Amino acid sequence: MTDETTARTSAASRRPPARAIKGLSDRAVGWIFVAPTIFLLLAINIFPLIWTIRLSLTNYRANRTTAEVSWVGLRNYERILTDPDIWNAMQATAHFVIWTLVLQVLIGFTLAYLINKKFKGNDLWTTIIVLPMMLSPAVVGNFWTFLYQPQIGLFNYFVGFLTGADPSSFSMIGDVALAPWAIVIVDTWMWTPFVMLICLAGLRSIPDSIYEAAECDRASKWRQFWTITIPMALPFLMLAVLFRGIENFKMFDLVVQLTGGGPGSVTELTSINLKREAFEKWRTGYASAYAVILFVTVFGLASIYVKALNKVKER
Amino acid sequence: MSFSVTQPTSRQKWFAGILVIGYALLTILPLLWIIATGFKSPSDAIAYPPKVVFEPTLEGYVNLFTTRTRLSPEALSEAGAPQTWYDRIVRQYGMVISGPSRYGERFLNSVIIGFGSTFLSIFLGTLAAYGFSRFRVPLKDDLMFFILSTRMMPPIAVAIPIFLMFRQLGLSDTHLGMILLYTAVNLSLSVWLLKGFIDEIPIEYEEAALIDGYTRFQAFYKVVLPQAATGIASTAIFCLIFSWNEYAFAVLLTSGTAQTAPPFIPTIIGVGKDWPAVAAGATLFLVPVMVFTVLLRKHLLRGITFGAVRK
Amino acid sequence: MKTILHDLTRLRRGPWEMVATLLIALGVFMLMQPFALWLYSYSFLVTLVGTVMFIVVSHFPE
Repeated sequence: MTDETTARTSAASRRPPARAIKGLSDRAVGWIFVAPTIFLLLAINIFPLIWTIRLSLTNYRANRTTAEVSWVGLRNYERILTDPDIWNAMQATAHFVIWTLVLQVLIGFTLAYLINKKFKGNDLWTTIIVLPMMLSPAVVGNFWTFLYQPQIGLFNYFVGFLTGADPSSFSMIGDVALAPWAIVIVDTWMWTPFVMLICLAGLRSIPDSIYEAAECDRASKWRQFWTITIPMALPFLMLAVLFRGIENFKMFDLVVQLTGGGPGSVTELTSINLKREAFEKWRTGYASAYAVILFVTVFGLASIYVKALNKVKER
Repeated sequence: MSFSVTQPTSRQKWFAGILVIGYALLTILPLLWIIATGFKSPSDAIAYPPKVVFEPTLEGYVNLFTTRTRLSPEALSEAGAPQTWYDRIVRQYGMVISGPSRYGERFLNSVIIGFGSTFLSIFLGTLAAYGFSRFRVPLKDDLMFFILSTRMMPPIAVAIPIFLMFRQLGLSDTHLGMILLYTAVNLSLSVWLLKGFIDEIPIEYEEAALIDGYTRFQAFYKVVLPQAATGIASTAIFCLIFSWNEYAFAVLLTSGTAQTAPPFIPTIIGVGKDWPAVAAGATLFLVPVMVFTVLLRKHLLRGITFGAVRK
Repeated sequence: MKTILHDLTRLRRGPWEMVATLLIALGVFMLMQPFALWLYSYSFLVTLVGTVMFIVVSHFPE
């Protein structure tokens, strides 16, 4: 690399006078900093990804390494995309994603709005609300099975106390109709604080001067809420929704410990379904195709997320 | 205090405070319950109605850390009088302690893998973040997006090829394998967070250092690193918490020597439905994180929003 | 409307990104909707096209 190029790059980015240090150009030094990370990610993310795509075109089974492997073309994809069971798993996931988002946005935004009133001691109480999201989802899921026990469980007792129902008459994780809600409740308990924190950041980014101006124009509080607060906080809300949506689309640890996908398969979300295909039935090729479908979906959603991120950043 | 139209009135503050505190109490109730259950006797733990007042016992913790065998009354009397307080607890049930349980090892594995991967991901992440922040790296935006997207991938889907790869390389169920894997997952977070922190450090400091005759690397660790220390520390806590809590990879890729606590804790329950022991295991595992969160709340809460909102 | 079509033909980033985003959203909806199996069957194709399009058009000029 010549001095001329380095001079041009530094001029373009207003960087310090880029004198070649020990024979290295600026760009080469940059690569030295970045390369180890890129290398590790290539080894542990990209290489496996390419391997998955390759496997998805075969009938390989990881528990029979000696069996002959043959190419099956796109047949795995064809079978997955016409399989009603997997379609059911997608719908179970949709139920989980949609309801957790609705509840978390409603509760999270309300809490953020209240905390933003800056009452005394609000930061300590905020921290207490945040506690669940810092904990291990698998361990949390495991102990919620205890709280959900029909007679002895605290949750059942609480519901019984409030509604007068017999605490041993219903089982949140054993009942086909209730189990999908059992996982929604725990996830909402755990992740509402996340949505709350993002909303709080959004609310705090609104300058006071806008409200003062609205006050001068005699706009009612109600009107200020809908014409200033909501629109200004909306980009942040979008981010929280996309982030939680992606996270819950791939939900595994919490739900696998809570219900294990049961009863039957009503809470068998895609990740649990995929784990069953890959590590219990050992249909590795088939499961790889399944994984690629999830990859592409998440990758697509992630690009929308980054786009939303840039929108917020422009603010 | 001067009057302002945007200041909430004290009645509004009261109202908001009561609602938020009510929600906070509701939210920690399950956590307090699990801590309390760890100190209950097995019969108190499954009592109906749920017992709020009970006689605390360390039975759950004894059961968590030991394996026990049931002896016949004759064999018990031959074994002699119980020597220690934990012997005495176990004797009530006609059993003797036959050895330590695996909980200690699993907990230690969590510590080793957690700290190992945190150190590595911070080390590599700081370098990469500095590179992205200060140099014209070709394809920068694409690389940053690629790094971010690696974190969003569903772990189970990634686990299929990792499982095969680790089997080939002999990394299955090893500390090294798990440390490398968690490092790779944490790197995306650490690069993004740290880039944000380093972007905020004025570039003039380094320019001054370069003019003083420092090399690029000297400028990096003598000027930038001390400035970014707080950011690095709070990023490290996030990486540590992630590795500490991770379950999906752990349950698929470890089974013995390198198994961490999250896949192990649910297996404590066994056939006896020993809820106090499970609660004790969960308490020991979760309480450090809770204490950390409360103590470091300023940095952590800022970090969460920063990580999700800032680029 | 006319300007959007015009921007699309001039390979501008904004409107094309919008098209890609809509395709991804449509694909995800088709993947998880409970109404028709054939929608589910074609969901992956739609998401894939949207995602690839997004990667390509994000390199177009503003």
